[in-house]
Amino acid sequence: MTPPATHATPTVLASTARIFDLSLGQMLWSRRSVFLAFLVGGPVLLAAGIRVVSAADRLGLPQINGARVGGAALFGTMIWLLYVRVIVPVLGVFYGTSLVADEVDDKTITYLFTRPIPRAAVLFGKYLAYLVCTVLLVLPSVVFVYFLVAPIGGTIGEAFPTLVADLGMLAVGLTAYGAVFAWVGARMRRPLVVGLVFTFGWEPVVLVVPGYLKRLTVAYYLQALVPHAMPRDSPVSVLLQVFSGGPSVPTSLASLAAIAVVALWWAGRSVEKQEYVLEQ
Amino acid sequence: MTPSAPAIVAANHLSKWYGQVIGLNDVTLSVPPGITGLLGPNGAGKSTLMKLITGQLKPSQGEITVLGESIWRNPALYFRMGFCPEQDAFYERMTGLEWVTALVRLNGVDERQATEMARRALETVDLTDAAGKKIGAYSKGMRQRVKMAQTLAHDPDLFILDEPLAGMDPIARRKTIRLIKEWGRAGKSVIVSSHILHEIESMTANILLINQGRILAEGNVHQIRELIDEHPHTVYIKADQTRALARQFLADDGVLSLTFEDEAVVVQTGRPDAFYARLTALAASGEFGTIHEVTSPDDNLQAVFQYLVKS
Amino acid sequence: MPIHDQGYRRYAGTRAPRGRAWTVITRAGMRTFFGRRAFLGLLLLSWSQFFVRTVQIYAAANLPQAAFFAPTPETFRRFFSIQELFVFVMTVYVGAGLIANDRRANALQIYLSKPLTRVEYVFGKLAILMTLLLLITWVPAILLLIVQILFAGSFTFVRSNGYLLPAITLFSFVDVVTVSTTMLALSSLSNSSRYVGMLYAGVIFFSRALFNVLRFVTGASTLSWISFSVNLDQIGDVIFRLPPQYDTPWPVSLLTIVGLIVASAIVLERRVRGVEIVA
Repeated sequence: MTPPATHATPTVLASTARIFDLSLGQMLWSRRSVFLAFLVGGPVLLAAGIRVVSAADRLGLPQINGARVGGAALFGTMIWLLYVRVIVPVLGVFYGTSLVADEVDDKTITYLFTRPIPRAAVLFGKYLAYLVCTVLLVLPSVVFVYFLVAPIGGTIGEAFPTLVADLGMLAVGLTAYGAVFAWVGARMRRPLVVGLVFTFGWEPVVLVVPGYLKRLTVAYYLQALVPHAMPRDSPVSVLLQVFSGGPSVPTSLASLAAIAVVALWWAGRSVEKQEYVLEQ
Repeated sequence: MTPSAPAIVAANHLSKWYGQVIGLNDVTLSVPPGITGLLGPNGAGKSTLMKLITGQLKPSQGEITVLGESIWRNPALYFRMGFCPEQDAFYERMTGLEWVTALVRLNGVDERQATEMARRALETVDLTDAAGKKIGAYSKGMRQRVKMAQTLAHDPDLFILDEPLAGMDPIARRKTIRLIKEWGRAGKSVIVSSHILHEIESMTANILLINQGRILAEGNVHQIRELIDEHPHTVYIKADQTRALARQFLADDGVLSLTFEDEAVVVQTGRPDAFYARLTALAASGEFGTIHEVTSPDDNLQAVFQYLVKS
Repeated sequence: MPIHDQGYRRYAGTRAPRGRAWTVITRAGMRTFFGRRAFLGLLLLSWSQFFVRTVQIYAAANLPQAAFFAPTPETFRRFFSIQELFVFVMTVYVGAGLIANDRRANALQIYLSKPLTRVEYVFGKLAILMTLLLLITWVPAILLLIVQILFAGSFTFVRSNGYLLPAITLFSFVDVVTVSTTMLALSSLSNSSRYVGMLYAGVIFFSRALFNVLRFVTGASTLSWISFSVNLDQIGDVIFRLPPQYDTPWPVSLLTIVGLIVASAIVLERRVRGVEIVA
């Protein structure tokens, strides 16, 4: 058997690429994908249902707050309520917290940590696989929804620029949430509970608190990138619209990029330093 | 193995604790090149030591070096090491070939070469026919062998094998033992753990005895055996009239204890020579019928270990 | 030299009567959770609203300027609404691994090879989650009612709102039973508690988001029955004699909840088995 000629530690980048290769297939064909399919398939089914019902309806237009509106507005509502508030954070929590924890639970982490690669590369490679996996599934779902609902009372081309902005915004959201929860997963013993509390407890609460506290969320920056008006579905949304002077798009993008980079760096550092004691 | 050869693993006052539980307690040792057996009962600290040697755990106190370098956060060392962990954990949906190839690729080898290396490793452990099957469909023995394949595929200098024979059938066991011995002859070093002592005995005479987080003894098994000469010997006797025979032993000063196991009597004696002489005389007298079996577990490493643990 | 009998000795002690084995599971589970600092922290946090409400009731009873803080039956309904977040977190923390962890460790077969029936096993696990959830719903709500009597120095409030005690009790139990059976059923579906936790969160939040979209589309809330949590809200309002927030008739919500409990029971019946049946 011929070993490699040199024994220099592979770079983080090269190792990340190898782990990405190894993980992408695993992630795409895992039982988690069933959950992902359920999440991203739901809006498509809903959009299809609305399309069918609106086609049968004489007016052919759905209602928002009782007023008949076009498909573009409905698409915006679905982006807000389903993707921005639920799907993106939930996927971030689910996949992000599992990047290392799954390997620890399955006791397969040993095989990766006893190879000549920096430990952080394991996390980075898996993070990249998560990103590709979720982006490849979430964005087509959004496109399907768009093509199903946009023609209702309008044309497909009319709101196309917002679709592009939506796709970019969702990819950025998956990047930022995934990085934050990758850190949570690498650092904490109960990452899922912490992730859920952050997403469904901390973020909705502090977003309506005046002051700087809301800046300690991902949602604050992400919501500023949504190219649709926020639906007034609850008193919290109304408060948000009244009090929230959201950041500008460049500020949001820069902040989300900073959040992702810092969170990933921390996560990598945690994985490098942390010991993983596998249950016997 | 030469006395002057540098240690492949050296620990200096090494301790590891998990919260309030001590996994390894102030261990200082030096493992020479060649094959070394790590013996100890379950929970003795074998796996903790293995994890410290493979850099999965950081010492709580003291230090450990592998192949002359500190192992913690030193991934370059893994080029020269192959680790076969104890746990039965895999990427179940991958085939054996895919799995070994993927792991070898992490050593910086390109896809084509990695596949070739993986194939050869699978051939070495007799898994060529099952290389294309999903690991989830493997039997326990096959799973153990595919773990061995990933350990040897990149041709390391040092093999760390945690309970490698567990779950293997007798033929695979014999083959693996032969493989380990071949590595030793080829100048490779192997640290192999087990709680089944005759397995280790069949691979090497160089052992490390570990119990309750401490190293009890290290070195050649025969040297260790000399240490226990003053300890009582156990003799297992099966005869036609076992109880009548036992009554004869009660009068013997050297007999320390008697217990009955099925149709046999197990005698512990502090004076084995005198005991065997008396037993021969009793057998020759024919008063107690045929004596079917006389065995001494002392002939096995098990006894060495038990004596040291109890003392 | 005495020769001792080395033979097998049968257990000669007393045995608990049949049907009580579930208490062993429950006791062991409770001990595990109460031994965890994180759990105790979560429990304390879950009681924070109780402490705030206690101050509110004290102020309302003793300071004339704070009379507008005086509790009403709606206060108790709101108490439960706010507690829902803690109920959710506690359910995920405690419930996700209840059966999933046993499945992962192959402990289910060991449990069911003992004199323990499947019903007892499920009931024992259910009792863990239900007890802990009642500890953050029913117990603090009842204590708030007692605190109100103590600080007001009269039974007037309780007497004039005589339905409150049964309402608190009924709603707590409906809430806890629904949440617990659903979580336990999900927990029996997987070996990974993290997957179960996420599945539960997905069911709760995604069903609510779907309902919100449909409400916008239809301009009405008649489809509120598709949301897990909204059904409980609807039933809660009815139990506390408040006007329901949604257009769905409350019997429909109740039927959905009953359906959910029945579906969970079927899942548990199929999944909690000592031996896997391969078709």
